[in-house]
Amino acid sequence: MKCQTVREQLPDYLTNNLEETAKAAIREHLTACTWCGKEAEALSEIWHKLGALPDEQPSPLLRVRFEAMMEAYRVGSRQARPGISWAETLHHWWGRLWPERPGLQFATAVTLLILGLFAGHLLVPPRSSDELSELRNEVRSMRQLVALSLLKQESASERLKGVDWSYQMQRPNKEVLTALLNTVKYDSTVNVRLAAVDALHQFADEPIVRQGLIEALRMQDSPLVQIALIDLMVEIREQRAVDVLKRLQRERELNEAVKQRAEWGVKQLS
Amino acid sequence: MNSPTDHVLMMDVRNGDVAKLGILFERYHRRLFNFYVRMTGNRTLSEDLVQDVFFRMLKYRGTYKDKSVFTTWMYQIARNARFDHSRKHKGEATLDGQEETANQEPILEATISQNQEAQLLRDALLKLTREKREVLVLSRFQDMKYEQIAELVGCDPGTVKTRVHRALKDLREIFFELSGRKAS
Repeated sequence: MKCQTVREQLPDYLTNNLEETAKAAIREHLTACTWCGKEAEALSEIWHKLGALPDEQPSPLLRVRFEAMMEAYRVGSRQARPGISWAETLHHWWGRLWPERPGLQFATAVTLLILGLFAGHLLVPPRSSDELSELRNEVRSMRQLVALSLLKQESASERLKGVDWSYQMQRPNKEVLTALLNTVKYDSTVNVRLAAVDALHQFADEPIVRQGLIEALRMQDSPLVQIALIDLMVEIREQRAVDVLKRLQRERELNEAVKQRAEWGVKQLS
Repeated sequence: MNSPTDHVLMMDVRNGDVAKLGILFERYHRRLFNFYVRMTGNRTLSEDLVQDVFFRMLKYRGTYKDKSVFTTWMYQIARNARFDHSRKHKGEATLDGQEETANQEPILEATISQNQEAQLLRDALLKLTREKREVLVLSRFQDMKYEQIAELVGCDPGTVKTRVHRALKDLREIFFELSGRKAS
């Protein structure tokens, strides 16, 4: 057997991917040819070291996120079923008109808004205060739409912009608040989660925000976000968080800094 | 009673019984997570990518064919998810270790206490070129045959073998360099 052939078959030899006769022939060559023997030994040493590397374990959050996705899918498909014929086609058709890039989406939204204002001005010259407040409402809901669409983007920087937009609202609707809370819970990027915690601070008098933040603390895996949430709980004097904080302290794997912060939080709140 | 094969489950998912994806998640999420951790060295990113793979499986379930091999199809999605991620992020030219570790959370959990040799080996793996690292990770940790890897990365099995061979040689060299020993 030629050295070249033996070397070509070494990867198969390592994975035990050869028939007995071929294996025997290689073994024979390896004892006879020192050069190939050395090479095979070196490669199999590192190959076996690799095999001894322990498996990595994902955090439990991965399963939670998977289940949340399946749930969202179930809910989504249940809602879509009635009227699938026209509602879906309309949605599809409308979706194709709407530009895909968030920047363009935003530009389109603003252009439409300005056009609308202009047309409104031309059509109805005298304007009562009722109409003005209606207009204000419209601008507000436009902002909410922009924030919502940005929060759903795949890129982290776009989602950060979405969080920023929500800052500009005095009274975001439930949908925006839920989107922000979901960002704290499920966003893949720690920075975006932190920004959402900050944004929710100013809406902390809403009951759904308080409840959502407690839930978010319970399922949080990032130490930085955990600490931000504990601080926020203390600041808004949310006493219901004490239970979660106590449970956190008992977790064996918990980061030391978070543990201390949780201890501090319990003291402040009780 | 035999449990249903991956293929049967995925066909069910494709035909509308999406809950079966849960069984496939149980079977494969750890394996995919390990694939990504070995490839990127970043646990947070790896979890995101695993989540993305299952999302894409659901979204593109219609592309699963009667003749598809489940694991090949799944790794195709996994590779695409990774490429898309690297394309979207800056400094994306290589997506090798360095750029991603910058994303890592400041607090590392398990890695510190584990033995040093394992850590050196992980570091060495991340210093391989992406192509070499990929074939090595797929063949060593993901139980994939060279023929299957060849189909996945789009070359012939001979090339995969040569690449594995070279990857091992490089890895050995880097490993000894990192541990301050000379490779003989």
